[in-house]
Amino acid sequence: MATQTDSESGADSVMMRDRLVKRVGEIAAGGFVLAVGGLIVWILSTQVDYRLLGSPLIAGRFAEAFLLVVQIVVVSSLLSVSAGVLVGLGRISTSPVTGRIAKGYVEFFRGTPLLFQLFVIFFGVPRLWATGEFPIQNWAVPAAVIGLTLNHAAYVGEAIRGGIDAVPDGQMEAARSLGMSRVMALREVVLPQAWRNALAAIGNDQIILVKDTSLLTVIAVPEIMSVFRNINSNQLDPWTPLVWVCLLYLAITMSMSQLVNGLERRSDWGSDSTMLGRLTRGSGGGGES
Amino acid sequence: MCVSDRQTTSRRQYVAALGAGSVAALAGCASGGGGGEETISIGSDIPYEPFEYRNEAGELIGFDVEIAAAVFSDEMGMDYEFQETSFDGIIPALNNANFRVIMSAMTINETRAESVDFSDPYFTAFQTVLILDDDNISQLDDLQGETVGVQRGTTGEAAAEDLKSDFDGELTIQSYDQITGAFDALLNNQVSAVINDNTVSASFAAENDGVVFLEGDGVAADRENAPDYLTLTIEEYGIAFRQDDDEFRQEVNDALAAIREDGTYDEIYNEYFDG
Repeated sequence: MATQTDSESGADSVMMRDRLVKRVGEIAAGGFVLAVGGLIVWILSTQVDYRLLGSPLIAGRFAEAFLLVVQIVVVSSLLSVSAGVLVGLGRISTSPVTGRIAKGYVEFFRGTPLLFQLFVIFFGVPRLWATGEFPIQNWAVPAAVIGLTLNHAAYVGEAIRGGIDAVPDGQMEAARSLGMSRVMALREVVLPQAWRNALAAIGNDQIILVKDTSLLTVIAVPEIMSVFRNINSNQLDPWTPLVWVCLLYLAITMSMSQLVNGLERRSDWGSDSTMLGRLTRGSGGGGES
Repeated sequence: MCVSDRQTTSRRQYVAALGAGSVAALAGCASGGGGGEETISIGSDIPYEPFEYRNEAGELIGFDVEIAAAVFSDEMGMDYEFQETSFDGIIPALNNANFRVIMSAMTINETRAESVDFSDPYFTAFQTVLILDDDNISQLDDLQGETVGVQRGTTGEAAAEDLKSDFDGELTIQSYDQITGAFDALLNNQVSAVINDNTVSASFAAENDGVVFLEGDGVAADRENAPDYLTLTIEEYGIAFRQDDDEFRQEVNDALAAIREDGTYDEIYNEYFDG
């Protein structure tokens, strides 16, 4: 009897503690939201100059910068993912030469800061020509795309390699035993699964690529941070343009998250809805033949 | 926010200058930064040769640096230190109390005077146009439709903006963090010209063959000792103070007058601009 009561009350107190921890968590989270929300409301009501915020001149300058950033992101994103697949394949190559070169590439571009790489490309490379002889004018944007591509191809390559490593060896072995060549087995069996495995990491990296465009301000690309800095240095008002900056970056990164989520759903052929689609499509095709 | 570690302060100031840290900086640094009894901290955008730059050993030298030594150390008996900061955020950083004064070849103008108070002028400069010798630009109008390089937040940038409206918008302006970036862009065929203060551009032109001033009669043509190249504006440099620092500003003005009187100013001037 006594022991049973003890154990019951013991269980009760354990449950109590669970609830207590939950309550503390809720209070902490709620307090955090109140504090941050209060700060934001305070900033928005005291620091932001709404006449300046809504000024069409400022909006136009930010819109121009935004479009440029979107263009740079789209091109660099496509190029870096494509190049990253090649780097990832190089990393798992059975040839020691290819493997080492791919490894060296990743070590260099992941191991040095993007800012350094941008300086090399933008300030360093043109100096290989005589003064004033460098053939490409408006080198800043091409230099930016090259830098972002080379840098992020290294990260995407590692994500792809991780994705390939996570596919069980049996998949490759089964494909080979069906008579497929290694290349064919990789292309038809392993890579589609590796892509799904790597997608979250690649999406993560591409969102970082968006934010990395802020570094381009130092090679005089008229991007979003540059517009902020010009307005802050002329109007001496940091918060008003900061609101613009925040919204514009979130607009790009949040649409990118949506895109990645969509791609993940599409490639997740194990889920019920897509499986159903495949089955019906499959049976339809079967009926025709 | 206000540790005295000088290696890291410049980075913090930069953040504060961008505004992100300005609230924290105000809260934490109101009595720090510039308020030291003995050591006057001076905000400066480095490098800006020949006003503030480092020699090969990394020592800070230049016209502003020696004027600071003469004014603060010799005349007023105070210690001073230079803090590196970026020029485009230098006024907010001063008002956030990250340093006591600005000495950064800063032109006195009305916009800036709304936010800070200036000392008496201690230097006269002209905005000028630097080009490559072999370029097809021989007069100011040739710049229409071209690209010019400037440093962000400078009066050179303002002069370029004025030129842009003269050209009905047909001028592309590339703003670099440091003037050296704009100079690199000129050598690298990224810009056709750099608009900047004459003395700094002269230093750069002296070190690089093929870099010359655009010639012509500018606004300074009627002056005595007018430069023989095109001048867009005439400007005067001042030391900038927070607007509640009048007493200190007056002392600095007295010290500036004293070094002009006793010949120290001329000595320093001749050292950097060979009279």
